[in-house]
Amino acid sequence: MSARDVLLQIAQVVSVLAFAPLLQGAILQFEERVQRAQGPGLLQPYRDLWKLFHKQIVVPETASWIYWAAPIVAFTAMLTVPILIPVLTDFPLPLSDMGDILGGGLILTLGSFMVVLAGLDSGSAYGGIGSSRAVMVAILAEPTLILVFVGITLLAKAMLPFVVNHLLVGSPAVYWSPAHLFLVAAFFILLLVETDRLPIHSDTHIEVYMIDEARILEYSGPLLALLKWASMMKQFILYTIFCNVLLLPWGLSHLGSAVGTLASLAALLGKFLLVALVVVFVETAQSRLRFYRYQEPLAASFLLAVLAIIGTQL
Amino acid sequence: MVGALLLLLTGAPALTIFGCLVSRGPRAAAMLNLAAGIVAFAAAAPLTVMSGGGPFRYWDGYVVFDTAGAWVVLCAAIVYLLSSIYAVGYMRLLDEDARLPAFYALFAGFALAILVSSLMNNAALYWIAIELTTLVSAFLVAFERAAESIEAAWKYIVIVSTGISLALLGTVLFYWNGSFVLGPTYNMTWDALRQAAPAMNPGLVVLAFLLVLVGYGTKVGLAPMHTWLPDAHSESPAPISAMLSGALLNAAMLGIVRYLVVADAAPSGVMPRGALVVLGALSLLMAALFIVRQQNIKRLMAYSSVEHMGVIALGFGFGGPFGVAGALYHMLNHSLNKPLMFFGAGNMMRSYGSKEISRIRSVGRCFPVQAGLWLAGAAAITGAPPFGLFLSELVVVRAGFERSFGWAALLMAGLLIVIFIGFLNHFRAMYFEPTADAAADPPARTSGGWCVAPMWLALAPLLVFGMWWPQSFWEFFRQTARLLSNAAP
Amino acid sequence: MLLTQLDPLAASLFSATAIASLLLAFVMLGSRWLDNYLYAFAAQSWAMAALGVAVGYFADSAELYLIAALSALFRGLVLPYLIRRMIQRLHVARELHETLRPASALVIGALGVIFSLAVSTKIAVPLGLGGTVVVLALTVMFATALIGFLMLAIRQEAVSQIIGLLVLENGVRLGAQILIPGMPLLIELVILADVLAAVACLSVLVRYLLSEFGNASTAGLKRLVG
Repeated sequence: MSARDVLLQIAQVVSVLAFAPLLQGAILQFEERVQRAQGPGLLQPYRDLWKLFHKQIVVPETASWIYWAAPIVAFTAMLTVPILIPVLTDFPLPLSDMGDILGGGLILTLGSFMVVLAGLDSGSAYGGIGSSRAVMVAILAEPTLILVFVGITLLAKAMLPFVVNHLLVGSPAVYWSPAHLFLVAAFFILLLVETDRLPIHSDTHIEVYMIDEARILEYSGPLLALLKWASMMKQFILYTIFCNVLLLPWGLSHLGSAVGTLASLAALLGKFLLVALVVVFVETAQSRLRFYRYQEPLAASFLLAVLAIIGTQL
Repeated sequence: MVGALLLLLTGAPALTIFGCLVSRGPRAAAMLNLAAGIVAFAAAAPLTVMSGGGPFRYWDGYVVFDTAGAWVVLCAAIVYLLSSIYAVGYMRLLDEDARLPAFYALFAGFALAILVSSLMNNAALYWIAIELTTLVSAFLVAFERAAESIEAAWKYIVIVSTGISLALLGTVLFYWNGSFVLGPTYNMTWDALRQAAPAMNPGLVVLAFLLVLVGYGTKVGLAPMHTWLPDAHSESPAPISAMLSGALLNAAMLGIVRYLVVADAAPSGVMPRGALVVLGALSLLMAALFIVRQQNIKRLMAYSSVEHMGVIALGFGFGGPFGVAGALYHMLNHSLNKPLMFFGAGNMMRSYGSKEISRIRSVGRCFPVQAGLWLAGAAAITGAPPFGLFLSELVVVRAGFERSFGWAALLMAGLLIVIFIGFLNHFRAMYFEPTADAAADPPARTSGGWCVAPMWLALAPLLVFGMWWPQSFWEFFRQTARLLSNAAP
Repeated sequence: MLLTQLDPLAASLFSATAIASLLLAFVMLGSRWLDNYLYAFAAQSWAMAALGVAVGYFADSAELYLIAALSALFRGLVLPYLIRRMIQRLHVARELHETLRPASALVIGALGVIFSLAVSTKIAVPLGLGGTVVVLALTVMFATALIGFLMLAIRQEAVSQIIGLLVLENGVRLGAQILIPGMPLLIELVILADVLAAVACLSVLVRYLLSEFGNASTAGLKRLVG
């Protein structure tokens, strides 16, 4: 429990906090560029957050304590998870054994759950739509996520993300095994679902197309900023798990020196760039589908997770 | 001598295929097919007698001729002969003269495939022969190109091909199982499998046998895989229905029986035989249910085929000398009786212009000779004495009690009674119920001598075999039972 | 089995190819478009040919290369070409009525794979082949066969049923390639020719269906009941 390790742990949380809007900005910019538009610029989410923090809060009359609690709980949950996963270093830092992969997943879900409640809380129609859709998707997505975690656990015979990372770096046979490849594919689909990039939602402001955004329509000012920041951090965290634990486990700092940490941060942003490109491509290449077809990618993800688990038995 | 006769047996249909394709007209093709039928029967009868001399192997072990195969060949040849005679008269009535040479070529090809499959020693080649029978007969079923015929042909080919693919899966598993004992490359003859059987893994043997049972059972028409059978047998022309019922089902049954021998040799418990008995009982149940409420005359005959295949499956499933003897005798009598029924049904269809039982009335008054033959055939096919099927069913029931499958034997007896009542009820309606419309014109007499002669030819032996079970048959059956039961030859 | 001594990386790639061909069967379950079925089937045949080449390499047998090449040619090129011609003659490009939603079909297929794994383990463990490629081969074989069977059951277009039948045969072939590579060459060739003949006959029947009913959908084949 040296001072350096504590500093590294704080640096992990701070980097998630600081660079999450950058990732979101990059994804939005790519999407616009792919469609041959100008795009709002990479740093637009920072400007949005800044603007929101300086605005007034307008609270609906029908709101209860959940309205105030949800953004705080969501934001705090997103601050907690980076402690548990390998963001910058590939060795466990203080307090990272507070929870394993399953624990991290549960905390992420807790944040989403509170926001779903908040969408229902004020009684508005759009909040209801958003919450019900989000829950419909979650009903299929959460068990699949659990199955993916089971697959990862069976693959590495341990529930800690650090062990998985070491295993994949150390042994190419496991990296190229069908179990791992299917877990990557299954988790990729879940990544799309959890970051609201399914080819079902549309980026316009029209409420009929919204899945996750409709939950937070009643919020304004700093609370809205917290919620948006929380969802950007959730996206960053999921990308981190995807890259550092599953897909590209190389490039993390072994020793924890300052240079190594900065280099691993740069490598992290580079990996995210690649994944973001693929996500944008998948999302823009497919035309918008009817909402009920959300079952199909989730069924495919379930299938891939099952195949991965079977692959670990073979 | 045996080899020469086998060549004659298979060469006649083969030459007929070429002959029909190059022939000028339908009459020539029909006569050519008839000649092939006569030659095939003339070869099959002495072959059956000679097969007792031990399994003959030819072509480097790829062709085998033993008593079980010989019996199936005999039944197939009988049906081929009867159908060829009938087809000469019947196919003229269809007004399709331009396509008849192709029909007869396919007919001969069908017969050839059935005969060849009974002679195959290698399990994979047997599979291929059965698959070929499916492909050829699908076009025969679809011959009339009516909407119903095409529907029947589609259902037939898809369901049976699926079943046969499952049988291929079972064959692959058997080969794999054998490769532990016989090495990675070997000729998968029935003997080789039987020799390797005691060392085979029991669980794998049971799984492979069940796959083969379901697969070839689809082809045999065992319930619940029988769904194609009423459609295909009712929509095809009457001579083809007779061939399908009387010859093809037996050939597929032979495959199940040969695999059963292998499964018995392996220490696989009661599951293989039990599964066969269950499927046989289920077939009887399904047939009974559908016969009682049937409205279509040819579908009635088709369900009767399901019933009789169920009885044969029960006979082979019970096993032992009585079971095998009963099943084989049943095969022969069924191959005589079912063409008789289909020929009668075909004649009635042509005369009355309809397949519905409710439209066929006063048969006895309008067609005295045919009616007598047909009614006798109906009594025979439901298992009444003094016809052959009564004796064989009795032997199978006895075998059931002897081999501790008493429940199956009781069920069989009960369902046979139900089928007897149901089936003959339809005939009662056709013969003795007055027409609703008394002033209706009597139906046209469209069937000539060619259509009635095979009915005589089928009924006479049926009567004879019902009253006299030749001692030579007993010897033959005992030898076959020994062949199928792994006792030292 | 001769394939139990692969080094781990090669074993992983081998497993990956086998399971990839299983995955292509799932593509057929999850899609509605006839063209997707066709391309997935062709890709599966090529993946199986690649597996055949790998088996031939590890078993040092030139015969297996020949069989793999012929399989790739016939199942990977000729059959898809025949089926493509059939699809072009139809007026539909996708399944119009679904008996089972694609998502539900995928889930049932996944359950089928679990069942196949259970059966394969139950067979392989008493034989002492518990952790080897045999379990993989049996699982993929049974699972692909079950998926082909499922496709046959739930699809209504005649062409989809034909492709389901071909997937069923592909599954059997996949298992046979790995488990019994020593099957005599003659038998392999005859089975291949037989599959071709079956597809040819089925395509003629599809033409009959088209000429009689105007479409090749089996949903209208309801005349024969009882």
